[in-house]
Amino acid sequence: MARVAVTGVGVVTGAVTGGREQIRAFLASSGAPALSVPSSALGGLIDETEARRLSRICQLSVAAARIALADAGLGPGAGLGLVIGAEFGDLRSTIAFVDGYLHRGPGGLSALLFPNTVMNTMAAATAIAVTARELSLTLNAPTVAGELAIARAAAAVRAGRADAVLAGGVDEFDSALAELLAEGGAPSERRGEGAGFVLLESLDSAEARGARVLGEIAGVAWRALRARPYGVGRGAASRAVAAALDEAGATSGEVGRVWVSASGDGPRDRWEQAILEEALRPARPPQTALASRAGRHAGLGALAVAAAALDEVSRGPAVVHAIARGGTHVALVVRRAPVE
Amino acid sequence: MDPKEVLDELKTILVSRLKFEPRRAADMTLETTLPKGVEGSIGLDSLDFIELSIAIEERFGILMDESQDLTKHFLSFDTLAHFITARTEAR
Amino acid sequence: MRRIAVSGLGVVSPFGTGVKAYWNGLSAGACAIRPVTLIETEGFRCRIAAEVPDGFGGSLRRSRADRLALAAAREALEDAGLSRVERAEAALAVGAVGGGMLEAEAWYWERFRGRRPPSRPTPRSMLPFSHAEALGNALGLEGPRETLVMACSSGAASLALAADLIADGVVATALAGGVDALTRICFMGFNALKLLCPEPCRPFDRDRRGMSIGEGAAFVVLEELGRARARGARIYATLAGHGMTTDAYHVTSPHPEGEGMVRAMAAALESGRIAPAAVGYVNAHGTATPQNDRIEARAIHEVFGPGRLLVSSTKSMIGHTMAAAGALEAVATILALVHEVVPPTANLETPDPDVAFDCVPRVAREAAVEYAISNSFGFGGQNVTLLFGRA
Repeated sequence: MARVAVTGVGVVTGAVTGGREQIRAFLASSGAPALSVPSSALGGLIDETEARRLSRICQLSVAAARIALADAGLGPGAGLGLVIGAEFGDLRSTIAFVDGYLHRGPGGLSALLFPNTVMNTMAAATAIAVTARELSLTLNAPTVAGELAIARAAAAVRAGRADAVLAGGVDEFDSALAELLAEGGAPSERRGEGAGFVLLESLDSAEARGARVLGEIAGVAWRALRARPYGVGRGAASRAVAAALDEAGATSGEVGRVWVSASGDGPRDRWEQAILEEALRPARPPQTALASRAGRHAGLGALAVAAAALDEVSRGPAVVHAIARGGTHVALVVRRAPVE
Repeated sequence: MDPKEVLDELKTILVSRLKFEPRRAADMTLETTLPKGVEGSIGLDSLDFIELSIAIEERFGILMDESQDLTKHFLSFDTLAHFITARTEAR
Repeated sequence: MRRIAVSGLGVVSPFGTGVKAYWNGLSAGACAIRPVTLIETEGFRCRIAAEVPDGFGGSLRRSRADRLALAAAREALEDAGLSRVERAEAALAVGAVGGGMLEAEAWYWERFRGRRPPSRPTPRSMLPFSHAEALGNALGLEGPRETLVMACSSGAASLALAADLIADGVVATALAGGVDALTRICFMGFNALKLLCPEPCRPFDRDRRGMSIGEGAAFVVLEELGRARARGARIYATLAGHGMTTDAYHVTSPHPEGEGMVRAMAAALESGRIAPAAVGYVNAHGTATPQNDRIEARAIHEVFGPGRLLVSSTKSMIGHTMAAAGALEAVATILALVHEVVPPTANLETPDPDVAFDCVPRVAREAAVEYAISNSFGFGGQNVTLLFGRA
């Protein structure tokens, strides 16, 4: 089993855009929450043809992937895999595609928009942009898709099935989607948008190429807790946190900080607290919820993993924890560099 | 419709459906080549050509028969404008 | 390395509900592609598809896709005879694209026309993950849960990723499969791309003119082989290997030389440590678009050499069932190994001289095959090959 090194990060979010230096500065500051990505964030990261052909969410994904690769000191490479989490995908293009037909009939259908109606469109655009020719995977999950994608990718590197993987997620959020969610009875919570990737590779190969290692993903686990679709569960017994700690060879008492998925959805946030209390008891490590500054979205998983690796205050391994309505539950144990 | 008028319509399509910048479209002439990989072309790929043919069918009321090889008509604005003109007059 | 057994099958196909109906249709070389009834097709060049006939049950408050998925998943779990405790530990991997879009579209269409929409769709019923949430909750599956959206290779990818979880020792059993119901978006989109044939599709035919759309669901129970044997489970086949690659070439067109397809097939053989000569049957992606079939045949040729192999396309009978296709075709491949009968390519009249294989035209063929592969390729250059071995 290989050890999994985090050797690069790239995020494009409302609150912070950039690699490890920008994220370090973001963590040291205490800026106001910023939930939307300004168009200026993509400057210089997208070429002219991409700007014409790629939808905005695909551009967010491509930009974050490019930042992460540069941060890792890697060129676009044939040995690269891609695991992208998303909750909504390119809903904006899907609506535009449908509206073309409703307003103008079959002649109003756009061949260019149609591929965007399938949620792997961000992975397709990103794989082409960074020449990722190994596995490219799109995972769809409510609210915690980014954390799930990173756990999935870490397991692949650990098992030796992948050499280097860009893992993270992307989602877009706007007033139309907010309206759709509200009409559908979704809980109000702090939603944001953006993209984020970490570059994962085996510690051996990272060291062999002299990579600047941010940290190590020492253990991962993902499970489903019993809950109705989009509901919160009653039980708080988590097999995921224990399994991730076990894989990392760590105990609950050592955990220095938990990066939680809380986002202002009261019932779900309380459920997360109950799960963590049960999993870590009697320890009560400090917690940070990044959604309070960047909004919850699939790009947040990469930001949380990078933040855990760059955190110079806490001692001991960190847990990046994510629970979604419906029960998708992810735990990642992150150790800071220097990795022993 | 003469080729020049068809060109103007095609430029409108390029901006509205293929998302070209208006200033970029303004520089295009009948001599401008279309397919990606051709020297000096505007870089259209297979998907762009499908989009373009749907738009042409809608705008000019002609049917593009995809079972026939249309490549030679899509070489430049000039070949495309002549193709469209011939088809609209044939109706 | 843990070996993987297939110990349960479940299918809802255009041939009806259940694995038996599916195999009856496949082995007879029947074609289920007919005029569309589920959605309006006025003004479209192609107006046919392979729809699933009624009889798969489920509450009408659920989306059609959820009901298809539930019926197929229940059959697979019952077939495998997993206990309640085993289910609670099992992983769930679902390949999906359309989600509950058919119902969401109905609502959106009505709203556009200024009428009071029937019922309001919610994100939880519309997005691809809705099936996994519904299945996990209804069937008591509390292991790792994943929804994979990989366009037309989603269903195959779900089997590959579930197999990884077993191989890594994360779980002992998994329910994996794919589902898609017909949607307006899919039907309109492929029409816009001019990839649909007005008549039932004819893969590998010289005169093929495009694909036909279908719908359905298929699930399999995967299980660590030793454990399946120990509990006396019926073992249909082994999932002996898989390969997953990306073209990184174009969003809708495959690489012209099928470079990513070749790597996927080669990776599947390599992961199973199986020589190309041991494979007797290829269940092709075989969409019947002029481009796919030619490039796929070329890629198969590159991996396996000329002749010998039997190659057929399930899509000639049930259309392209999108996210379900990889799973439905995996089940077709498994059943071919079990019954020692290779299902044919329906509607194949004039073999394409560019396709250097016996594509089993119209009539099923008796053939005892040791290993078979199932290919699935999707938009975004996503290539998945599954390798199955005779039990």
